Amino acid sequence: MKWATRPGVHVDRAACAWLIRRFIDPAAEFVFAADTTAIPADATPFDMRGAALGHHQGRCSFETALAAFDLTADPALEEIGRIVHEADLADERYDAPAAAGLDILIRGLTLTSSSDHDILAITGKLFDGLYEHTRRQLITGRRPA
Amino acid sequence: MMSTSKAEDWVLLAYRLPRVPSTPRSAVWRKLKRLGVGWLSDGLVALPADARTREQLEWIAEEITDNGGEAALWLGRPVEPTAAVAVADRMTAAVAAEYDALIAEAHAAHAAEPPARRRAVIRLRRELHRVQGRDFFACPEGDAARRAVEHLAATETAAVRP
Repeated sequence: MKWATRPGVHVDRAACAWLIRRFIDPAAEFVFAADTTAIPADATPFDMRGAALGHHQGRCSFETALAAFDLTADPALEEIGRIVHEADLADERYDAPAAAGLDILIRGLTLTSSSDHDILAITGKLFDGLYEHTRRQLITGRRPA
Repeated sequence: MMSTSKAEDWVLLAYRLPRVPSTPRSAVWRKLKRLGVGWLSDGLVALPADARTREQLEWIAEEITDNGGEAALWLGRPVEPTAAVAVADRMTAAVAAEYDALIAEAHAAHAAEPPARRRAVIRLRRELHRVQGRDFFACPEGDAARRAVEHLAATETAAVRP
């Protein structure tokens, strides 16, 4: 399937792309368009104004996507949702100290990467690691060494 | 690579939101306040344009339209540079007042007992990060505030050591 979002990806779009590829559509193809009028007809938009998979009721797009894809039963994904929310919005709705670091790492990547596809390739691995770390922490009740 | 805006570009949000119900209205107001926008007139706010500020205002625009209001985002440049300076000065004065309050709190906390002082350091560092997030013009008080909070933290460390 095709999925569309705005170019210049940052934490919320990177997290959504990871979620889509890992849990929804392993063969996902991502395209970038400045606004919803410019996206291909066969693509599902996310993290864009006017998209169902966007910011709604104070939630970031990743949190909206978790609910839309029925993935809220996974506590590790819920926790990543809180981290992405704070990295994206910093409205202190959640206590997520990892958010500040994640925000800086991905902003740094946007300075050194040559394309949005490159950024998604790296952030995909980053979110794989964050997911595994969060999952183990939830199972054992402490941070993995 | 991401930002195509020049330094003098501003992103402007023109919006109208019904007075009733008041909850979404005040939620939007609080978010704009936290971003540190410059208020140009009733229903017109501005931030120096970059990828981040543009996105932040885009999502607030979405929230406004979700709640039955009207919102349009513009990229603009003042014809009269003095107009932008006046807005920037007002924004800087607002964060300077916040930094000054932080400095006063940091000074006052020196007199507190060690546990209260430790809590003050944590709280003031957090507050400092919040204010730095809306300091778009490198307000000079920012450095003084950072030093005041770190001075309090250093006193704290010194007091703990034997």
